[in-house]
Amino acid sequence: MSQEKEKLIAELVNKGLDGDMDSVNACEDRVTRSKVKAMIMKIKKGSLDRPQMPVSLSDTPNESDDTGKTDDKTTEDISQKIKNMLLDNFPDETDETGQDGHMYVRPDKWLDIATWLKTESSLLFDSLQCQMGIDVGEDILESRYNLHSMVHDHYLEVRIRVARSNAKIPSVEQVWRIADWFERETYDMLGIEYVGHRDLRRILLPDDWEGWPLRKDYKEQETYHGIVVPKMKEGWD
Amino acid sequence: MTVDFIFEGLNQLFPSFAGNDIFLILAMLLPFAGLFGFITIYGFGVIYSELKVSSFIQDKTGPMGQGPGLHAGKWGLLQPVADGLKLFFKEDIIPASADKPLFILAPFLIFIGAFISIIAVPFGEKIIVADMNIGIFYVLGIGSLAVIAVILAGWSSNNKWALYGGMRSAAQIISYEIPAGISLVVVIMLTSSLSMQEIISYQAGGLFNWVIFDNPFMPIAFVIYFISALAETNRTPFDLPESESELVAGFVTEYSGARYALFFLSEYANMFVVSAVAATAFLGGWQSPFSDFLNTPIWSMFWMISKTFFLIFVMIWIRWTVPRLRVDQLMHVCWKVFIPIGLFNIFGVAIWTVLRG
Amino acid sequence: MGLVHGEEMVLNIGPQHPATHGVLRLQVRTDGEVVSQITPYMGYLHRCFEKHCENVTYEQVIPYTDRCDYLSSMSMNFGYVVAMERLMDIKVNERVEHIRVVMAELQRIASHLLCTGVFGLDLGAFTPFLWALRDRERILDLFEFTCGARLLYNYMWVGGLSHDIPVGFVESTFEFLDYFEPKIDELENILAHNKILVERSADIGVMPKDIAISYGVTGPNLRASGVKWDLRKNDSYSIYDRFEFDIPIGEGKKGTVGDCWDRFYVRILEMRESVKIIRQALASMPKDGDVHQSLPKKIRPPKGSVYARTETPRGDLGYYIESDGSPIPYRLKMRSPAFTALSVMDEIAAGWLLSDVLAILGSLDIVLGEIDR
Repeated sequence: MSQEKEKLIAELVNKGLDGDMDSVNACEDRVTRSKVKAMIMKIKKGSLDRPQMPVSLSDTPNESDDTGKTDDKTTEDISQKIKNMLLDNFPDETDETGQDGHMYVRPDKWLDIATWLKTESSLLFDSLQCQMGIDVGEDILESRYNLHSMVHDHYLEVRIRVARSNAKIPSVEQVWRIADWFERETYDMLGIEYVGHRDLRRILLPDDWEGWPLRKDYKEQETYHGIVVPKMKEGWD
Repeated sequence: MTVDFIFEGLNQLFPSFAGNDIFLILAMLLPFAGLFGFITIYGFGVIYSELKVSSFIQDKTGPMGQGPGLHAGKWGLLQPVADGLKLFFKEDIIPASADKPLFILAPFLIFIGAFISIIAVPFGEKIIVADMNIGIFYVLGIGSLAVIAVILAGWSSNNKWALYGGMRSAAQIISYEIPAGISLVVVIMLTSSLSMQEIISYQAGGLFNWVIFDNPFMPIAFVIYFISALAETNRTPFDLPESESELVAGFVTEYSGARYALFFLSEYANMFVVSAVAATAFLGGWQSPFSDFLNTPIWSMFWMISKTFFLIFVMIWIRWTVPRLRVDQLMHVCWKVFIPIGLFNIFGVAIWTVLRG
Repeated sequence: MGLVHGEEMVLNIGPQHPATHGVLRLQVRTDGEVVSQITPYMGYLHRCFEKHCENVTYEQVIPYTDRCDYLSSMSMNFGYVVAMERLMDIKVNERVEHIRVVMAELQRIASHLLCTGVFGLDLGAFTPFLWALRDRERILDLFEFTCGARLLYNYMWVGGLSHDIPVGFVESTFEFLDYFEPKIDELENILAHNKILVERSADIGVMPKDIAISYGVTGPNLRASGVKWDLRKNDSYSIYDRFEFDIPIGEGKKGTVGDCWDRFYVRILEMRESVKIIRQALASMPKDGDVHQSLPKKIRPPKGSVYARTETPRGDLGYYIESDGSPIPYRLKMRSPAFTALSVMDEIAAGWLLSDVLAILGSLDIVLGEIDR
């Protein structure tokens, strides 16, 4: 076996063990693939030590280990640029934890920031593409906004994290009108309260539904108007 | 006329009982039985033709069958029978909050209105149930009975959609009676009679003696009458009272089974009446288009029915082609287009008659 | 209108009503026939799509996307696989891309046919609806020929397709296109230039540009307002950048830009463009290539998130997928185009007559399956 092949196997085994079985499956040489799989099995059983991860030798597309954001460079540039601008305009409002594709904002002045994002002539984020809520665990809920500018054609993802105990975020429904229904939906599903929303009701579920279904600790109510609510099954059974 | 005719005929057949009251009653009932039979057969015919014409227009086959059996019969001929049977066997629901007496009355009222108009329709020189000297006036008057029935149906159902349908219908039918009446006035001016038979005898002598070709104003009057007739019978593009995509079913929303069938049938009966009036007033009624050729009583029935059916066919054709108007546009067409043109038409015909005749 | 004010009445259009295109309830306040306020109530068709997705594996999500917008299932599949492939960084081969484009565009035609037909039906014209369904039926036959299903296909998989196209598909599709192109003119003639339809839809329910953008209205509805915005060109996902086609926009030919007539007419124009794309895609489709080539054995995307948008017949369909490295999505959000289109109802339809409100609703082309999810 050549040096190169050994290296490749070692690399794939490491990837497979890290959960990236796709790159293993994408390997075109069947012999190599089966060897890799056998090795992984052995390592999992404990009969073999994990090989050293070799220095990267190929640049196959399977190798990228980014966060999934494959947007072109301009997106990252713009988010960096905005972050700097934001720091100038609203000091203390951004979190430094934001990564390339997105930025974190503190909830307190979100309405002002949103208005600024929409009206600032070099940004002009006039379109709210998507707004979603997510339960990231550790008692933290996140509200994410995918913004897009029709004029400049650039994107930005803004994330706001709040604690469950105080899940309050200023509403931007009067900045982008579509946020009206998006925020109602997030409220419906995750119970994030959008302060200043003029019509914050449940939108998809009935008004008297209990609980916030998309929170990770959601428990269905036992009965609803005398109807037994069927239990959701775990996984696929 | 026919009542007298049958009475005399019965007297001659049975001379020993001449002048008996039973003959008089028989003479009155027979034409009605005949008329009722005619309406039933006509109903089946027109429903079948509506199905088939619409299928032709819409690129589908429509009712089809392979022979006599429990399915729709040869060429689907039994489809209307099946439809009728289904409607009559369905549960008859009266909503709890409906105004019961009025709710029950409405379908009968509309059907009676449509049915008794037909007695003034002439099918031949002698073939007419009642040859009144105000025949055309009578048909117009009785035709308005439908408005009352539709409002009753809309109101008594205690349903918002039905109410909308009823109110729209009232506004629509009352408005469109004016252009319809105005365009018939032109015919009356020309023929100087309100009697159906005299209007027809004015048009004797072939195609070019028909009222529609009498003078340049008459085609306009015919078009106005025909469109107004469409509106009066609630056919597309004027089917706002029951526009199914807006008002669910308008004033018939709450009706089911046999009561619904009566509304359904009276719409078709109304179509027949307005088409027959149009044929009588503009297209020579039972007169043959070829002067004296084929002008016997049997042929006269044929001509009358075929002219009427041609107009009904046009109505069906229009129904399956055009979208529906909106309420304000409907009123716009009536008050701002048809009535001025109709009045101008009266003026024009008056001058024409003075100059030419 | 509405100079004389009478007593207001509250009217519930739906949930069972012929014009609501599903189970939607519009609570309208009317003064006579004039509608002063419209409040949509949704959720009658809510099937917990997003909650379900957190309990099934990534590949099991695909059939659920079918059922969201049941009138354009192919496009829903397409959006999901594009998002997943972006998340996992999978490149699919040329043949797969071409087949996907052909399917998505056929689906666009089918969906637009239904929309234009139903718009006619809402205005009282029954015949064009059946003509549209007749042609749509042939597209469904093509889909059935390909994957055996007529409505819910589950055809596009992450990294490939469930089946290759059958032998003779390309010829049948060309045959269909030759048949279909004159039929678009027929549909246009009977509807678009019909005097009554123009009267009913021109200048009705005008949606200005800024309102459309602020309400997140996308797709043909946005283009009818005069915004040249089409993700197939502007985002050029898949291989759309290779094809020659125009983006039709509303020009206000019969009334104001952004009225019901424009929204309806843009869809007719788009069908023509889709025919162009299909012709090009079929012509340039590689003869061989395994549609299962890049299919991953187990879908286990890396940790991270992706927001990918595609152009469905109803507008921008966005999938926001948050992955925690397990085979089950941590959170999956669908940004549905009809949801945003419906939200603009109150803004553009208040003040019109009851008949107009239903015409506007018809012109927005909503599908309740996708709004309620």
